[in-house]
Order: sequence, then structure tokens, then C-alpha cells
Amino acid sequence: MNRYLANVNGWTIGAILIIILLFIPNVSIVTGIFSSASENWAHIKEYMLVNYIKSSLTLVFFTAMFTVVIGLSLAWLIAQYDFPLRSFMKWALILPLSIPPFIGAYTYHGIVNYTGVIQKTLRNQFEIVPNPSFFDIMNVPGAIFIYTLFLYPYVYMITRIFLSHQSASLIESARTLGKGPWEIFLKVVIPISRVSIIGGVSLVVLEVLNDYGVVKYFGIQTFSTAIFQTWFGLGDLDSSIKLAASLMGIVIFILIIERILRGGKQYSYSTTKVRPLPLVKLKGKSAVFATMYTLVIFSIAFLVPVIQLMDWVILTFGKVPMGEVLVYTRNSVTVAALSATLIIVFSLIVGNFSRIVHHKFAKLLPKLTILGYSIPGAVIAVAVVTTFIALDRFLAPVYEFIGIDSGLVLSVSLFMLISAYIIRFFAIGYNSIESGFDKIGTDFRDASRMLGVSRLRTFFKIDVPMMKGAIISGFVLVFVDILKEIPLTLILRPFNYDTLATKAFQYASDEKIMEASQASLLIVGVSAIAIIIFHKLLREEPK
Amino acid sequence: MFIDIQDLSFTYSNSLTKAVNCISFTIEKGEVISILGRSGSGKSTILRLIAGLEMPDEGSFTLNGKKIMDDRTFIQPEKRGIGMVFQDYALFPHMNVEENILFGLSKMSRKDKKRRVNEVLELVELEGFEKRYPHQLSGGQQQRVALARAIAPEPELILLDEPFSNLDADLQVKIREDLRRILKKANTTAVFVTHNINDAHALADRILKIKDGKIDKIGRPCDLLGSTSELPNTGEVIFEELLPV
Ligand SMILES: Nc1ncnc2c1ncn2[C@@H]1O[C@H](COP(=O)(O)OP(=O)(O)OP(=O)(O)O)[C@@H](O)[C@H]1O
Ligand SMILES: [Mg+2]
Repeated sequence: MNRYLANVNGWTIGAILIIILLFIPNVSIVTGIFSSASENWAHIKEYMLVNYIKSSLTLVFFTAMFTVVIGLSLAWLIAQYDFPLRSFMKWALILPLSIPPFIGAYTYHGIVNYTGVIQKTLRNQFEIVPNPSFFDIMNVPGAIFIYTLFLYPYVYMITRIFLSHQSASLIESARTLGKGPWEIFLKVVIPISRVSIIGGVSLVVLEVLNDYGVVKYFGIQTFSTAIFQTWFGLGDLDSSIKLAASLMGIVIFILIIERILRGGKQYSYSTTKVRPLPLVKLKGKSAVFATMYTLVIFSIAFLVPVIQLMDWVILTFGKVPMGEVLVYTRNSVTVAALSATLIIVFSLIVGNFSRIVHHKFAKLLPKLTILGYSIPGAVIAVAVVTTFIALDRFLAPVYEFIGIDSGLVLSVSLFMLISAYIIRFFAIGYNSIESGFDKIGTDFRDASRMLGVSRLRTFFKIDVPMMKGAIISGFVLVFVDILKEIPLTLILRPFNYDTLATKAFQYASDEKIMEASQASLLIVGVSAIAIIIFHKLLREEPK
Repeated sequence: MFIDIQDLSFTYSNSLTKAVNCISFTIEKGEVISILGRSGSGKSTILRLIAGLEMPDEGSFTLNGKKIMDDRTFIQPEKRGIGMVFQDYALFPHMNVEENILFGLSKMSRKDKKRRVNEVLELVELEGFEKRYPHQLSGGQQQRVALARAIAPEPELILLDEPFSNLDADLQVKIREDLRRILKKANTTAVFVTHNINDAHALADRILKIKDGKIDKIGRPCDLLGSTSELPNTGEVIFEELLPV
């Protein structure tokens, strides 16, 4: 009896179907490279492509550099030293992640522009009229500033966990060898945290390449904006597929570099014994400095924009009808919750498949779905639309048969948006579920089957309850990401379907910054709560 | 013959050598068999093959006249009517003792289930522990719950993987006696894995000695290991120390 064929059952079939569905749209991008080029493409290639590459890479390079400096220094301070406010800062410094960069962008623009609080104060209180170009942040350096503020937590979070759990013996032995703090930082901390720094910074890089909101609002030409422009401005889907393919090429190039830099090592926190790094208590000036430094970062990356948003909400209270806001909130929550639920269910099926089928491919295939998270939203949007239009064409006879006279059914439905979310965010949910499966192993499952209980019942009675933590944290992470998502939602939503994020973005684009504040504050609030819940879950898990 | 296993072979998918290599043996009803062998010799793998948790490269297995597996048959583990006690017990942490035992009793009326739970708990001398959760039990108590859970559905065969490995020496001796009493009282056919020669001696009707995935020797404890008097009766002696490599 064939051992692999014997494993073919509902799980396997379901899992393979899901994996295929996650992949199909990307195929349309790859095939799009080979379609014949239009005049637009010739023009783009000749005059524009270099610019897109230049500006995208400039943004990526400097943001990566600054997020490493800030993220690593914060991680080091928090992991090694004790100073006033440390335990608050430890998690507060993650909170900037709850502010989507495009909201941060228009909020800061609002703070520093001519009518903003800074220039107004200078004019009215001090009678200084500064050169307005000094306060102009709608340019490349401004975008780097915004990305750095709201993306550094990725580097901070991953590096801090690594340093607090895994570095104790190395750092202590360096100390006993008589090394001072700076020397330890340069010669021990930086080299040993290389892998986690690269892990964090590659998330930052992918976020920057994915971003549409900030660059669009600031009027910077990058790949993301170019894809939208050729698609909607020129109506040339073929050329935008070619642009998308070029962007995908850059992403794959960056992922390969990441692999090489990491030296093939996966960062693993779980394998070695966890011994926390004992804290060194800072006194006097250094304690004041540490508190000030963390406080300044926390203020500009979270406190200031949130206070400004609150101020605008109060100023405009009643201007945006409450009923309208409620509709967007409901749309946002429904679509995010529905997609997150589907992602978790799919992850459970694929994760279980990968756990029980002892075959190389069963381990490898799900890992490939991680690509979905690496591919920028604009690319996925192009891919999903192409696929759905092809699907509608294919199903046209069916529509006719059941009496629908429109040729476009699926490609104008919410179904398309949800599929795109699933492709883009599957990896986030799957990571969480996979580590949950790893943690419980297969013994409980085997024990249940030996008691005569079927596979399906075992799954619901044993696996699912034991993985509650992983399921909740996976759901929360996906939910928040979808809540903040901009490019996919803008392109793929059905006509007149608005979410908090699209509404905030549209108001901001129309320079109605104040009206945008309500929706923005709701996004930030919900995300911040989710991040706090996640943090609590993570902390309680080792018990 | 109650149990008949012929030419059982198995290779792990990520390995080239056979973990179990052409093993054949038979078991009578009510017999307690011990599989003895050093670490890595393939003991657990044999149990997992009998349980149906792994699928053999070749071999056949009949249980009480019923074909469980051969070239074209493979009955899934949940349909085999075989109970198993895992090395780390695998008690479901989110269920209390009663729920753990009830979990395997699906095809009974509620009243019968309740009665069966009381019966097996009495057998393992754990009455009154129904509402405790696994983490609120000592190692020995967990072990007995695992045994009670495996016995409750009245399996035709029960498999035990290193049932004493997580216990301290005093408890091992006590539990060992309990186990023999419980198995004999319920007239259960059992196969248990150990690398401890004293366990095998005290518990088994027959011993199957495994070396590198093959059967080395098979026979009654006194034939294989000599009489009890030759064994040192203080402390625990393990297999490796007694048998020359
Ligand atoms: N999942 C697996 N994949 C690959 N090889 C395995 C796997 N499990 C066990 N093996 C190998 O198969 C052989 C037999 O393993 P098995 O677990 O049956 O030994 P054992 O006799 O139970 O040892 P122990 O007394 O240490 O539990 C060993 O060489 C082991 O390395
Ligand atoms: Mg074993």
C-alpha cells in the first residue's frame, strides 16, 4: 500500500487547493511580463523606470538605516538597563505600529504646515515668520522621517526579544572580561543580534515598498504610485503588470540578499534555554538620558500625532455625521473580521496538513505562501484583478444562463477584496498557527485517535482548544493589518464601499485633514488595543 | 492465535536505514509482552506501527482474526480498537480526569459512561479525583489516569511506551505491581516497551529483545534473563549494563 496515497483525504485536498488559490494570481504577473509591450511601456521603460527604481531604493535605504539605529538602540537600552519608566516604555515603544504611516504622514503635515500648530505659535506668540520651505515635509526626506517613526518598532521588537532572552551568557562573559558598555555594544551586541536586526529591517523594507498612502499623499513617484498611475491614469493594465513584475523582481532580489546576510540561519528563540539578561540599574545622568531618549521617541512617534488627532476630532465634532462614521466602522470591522477568520481557518487546514503528512513538500509548500506577504499590495491588486476578470469571462455563459446580464460579477464584488486580503496576509496568520502546532506536537492527537476518536473530532476537540492562544494572536495580527491596509482596499473594494482607512485616506487627499481625523483615531485606537492584547498574550505564553 | 504479526518493516521518510526490519511474532490472549532494547533500537516505532500511527513499508497484522493491515488493507488507528499509553501520558490539559476518560467512550449511554468511569477509576485507585486537571496530579497519578483512559473503552490490545520512565525509583516499583494487577484483572492483552530489565522481569509473560530494529531473542523472562536471584535486587539495573554489547 502506498504510504503517501494513504494520506490523501479531505485535509490534503483542502490544503493543496488553498495553496494553489494563494498562488494562481501571481502566475498572471509572471506571464504578464511576456505579453507584447504597448507604447506606454516603451515610454515608461525609457524615461521613468530609472526614476522609480531610484526613489524606491532611496526610501528603502535611508529608512532601513534610521530604523536600525533607533530600533537597535532602544532594544539595547530596554534589554540591558533599568531606568525610570522602563517597564512602561518596554511595550509603549511598540505602539507606533498602531499608526498607519499614511495617517502619520498627513497628521505631521497638518502639524507643521502654514496653518499648523507650530507655525501658528511661532507667528502669534513670537512674531517669527519662518521660511515655509523649512517646514515642508512633503518630499523624500519627509517620507523617510515618517517611515522611520512608524516602522522602527519592527526592528525594536524582534531585537529586544532576542537580546533579553538569548544574549545573557555572552554579554555577561564580556563584562567579566572587563569590557565597558560601549565596547560591549559595538563588539558583542551588534554582531550577535545581526540575524534579528536583519529580520526586523526586512519587514521594514517590505512595508516601505508596499506603501502607497504616504508616497501618494506626498506626491513622490515610486513603483506603487506608478503602478496605479499607469493602470487608472493611462488605463493600461498591461504596462502596470510589467511594472508590477519589475517590483516583484526587486522584492525577490531583496529577499535573496536577506538570506545571504542571515547566513542561512533562521532566528530561533525557542531552541536554546531561555535565561533572561539581568538588568543593570542606571543612576544619575545616564538614567535621565535613558528616560529622556525613550520619552522623546515615544512622544514624536505616538503621543504627538495621537494628541493632534484628538484635537482635530474635538474641533470637528459633529461635522462628519456620526451615522456615516458608524457605517465605515462597521464595514471595516466586518471585512477585517471575515477575512481574518478565513485566514485562520485556512491556516489551520494547511498547518494540520503540513504537520501530519510526512513528506518534504508538505513542509515546504506552506512556507512558499510567505511570498504573499513579501509582494507589495499594488502587485497583488493587479494580479487579483487580472485573475478575477479572466474568471468572469470564463463564467460568462453561466451568468447568462442564470439570467444576470452584467458580464462582471465576481470582479465587482466584495469577494475579490477578501481574496486579495487572504493572499496578502495569509503568511501572518499561518506563522502564528504553525508555531501553535509546533508547540502542541502530535502526541495529543495520536492519543485521541488511539481512543477511537475520528480525525475531524480530534481536530475540534483537541487541537483547536489547545491552540487557543495561537488562534487569537494570529487573528488579532491579521485583523489589525487589514484595518490599516490601503492600496488593496482602494482598488478592489466594490463601488461605494468605504472603510475607515479608505475614508481617512480620501479626506486627507482632498486636504480635509480634520474630517479625516475621526476615522484615523478609530483605526489607531483599535490597533493599539489589539497590540496591547497581543503583548499580554505573548507574555503569558511561557507559563 | 490472538495477534499475529509477520515481516513488519518500516523506514522513516527522512532516513535511509530501516528503523524496523522484518519483525514477526505472535501473542496469546491475555498475555503481557515486553519489548526490551537499548535506546534507538526501534521499540517505540514497533508500537506506533501496531497502533497504526505509522504506515509500514511491508508486513501484515491480524488481531483476533481480523485483518488490520497487509499489502492492501490499512485500518486507521481510531478504528483498530487498540489502546495506548504514551511515554509522557498525553493527558489532554484542557480536560479534567473525568473528561479525559469520557473522551474515549463515545458509543455508550450516558449512564453506562458514568459507570465505566467509576469502574476504571476504582481499578487504578483514583476515586474522587474526577474533577482534577492533569497539572494538579502527581506523576504517578497522571500515569494511572492515562492507564485508566486507555483501558476504559475495553480495547482488545493495550500498548504502553516506557510507562515508568517519568517516575522516581520508589514509585516505579509500586506502579509496576499495580500495573500487573490491573492488566491481569481486566484480562487485557498488553505490549509494553522498556529499557529496564527489572520492569520486563516483573511484568512480562514473555520478552521480545530488539537490536537495531531486528528481533534478537524472544522467550520467557526466566529463560532469557536467568532466574530472579541472579539479578541484583537492590536498585535499578538497566538493560545496557547487563547485556554485553
Ligand atoms: N520521526 C523520526 N524520523 C526519523 N527517524 C526516526 C524518527 N523517530 C525515530 N527515528 C529513528 O528510528 C530509530 C528507532 O527509534 P525509536 O524511537 O523506535 O527507538 P526506541 O527504541 O524507542 O528508543 P528510546 O528507548 O530512546 O525511546 C532510531 O534510530 C531513531 O533515530
Ligand atoms: Mg522510545
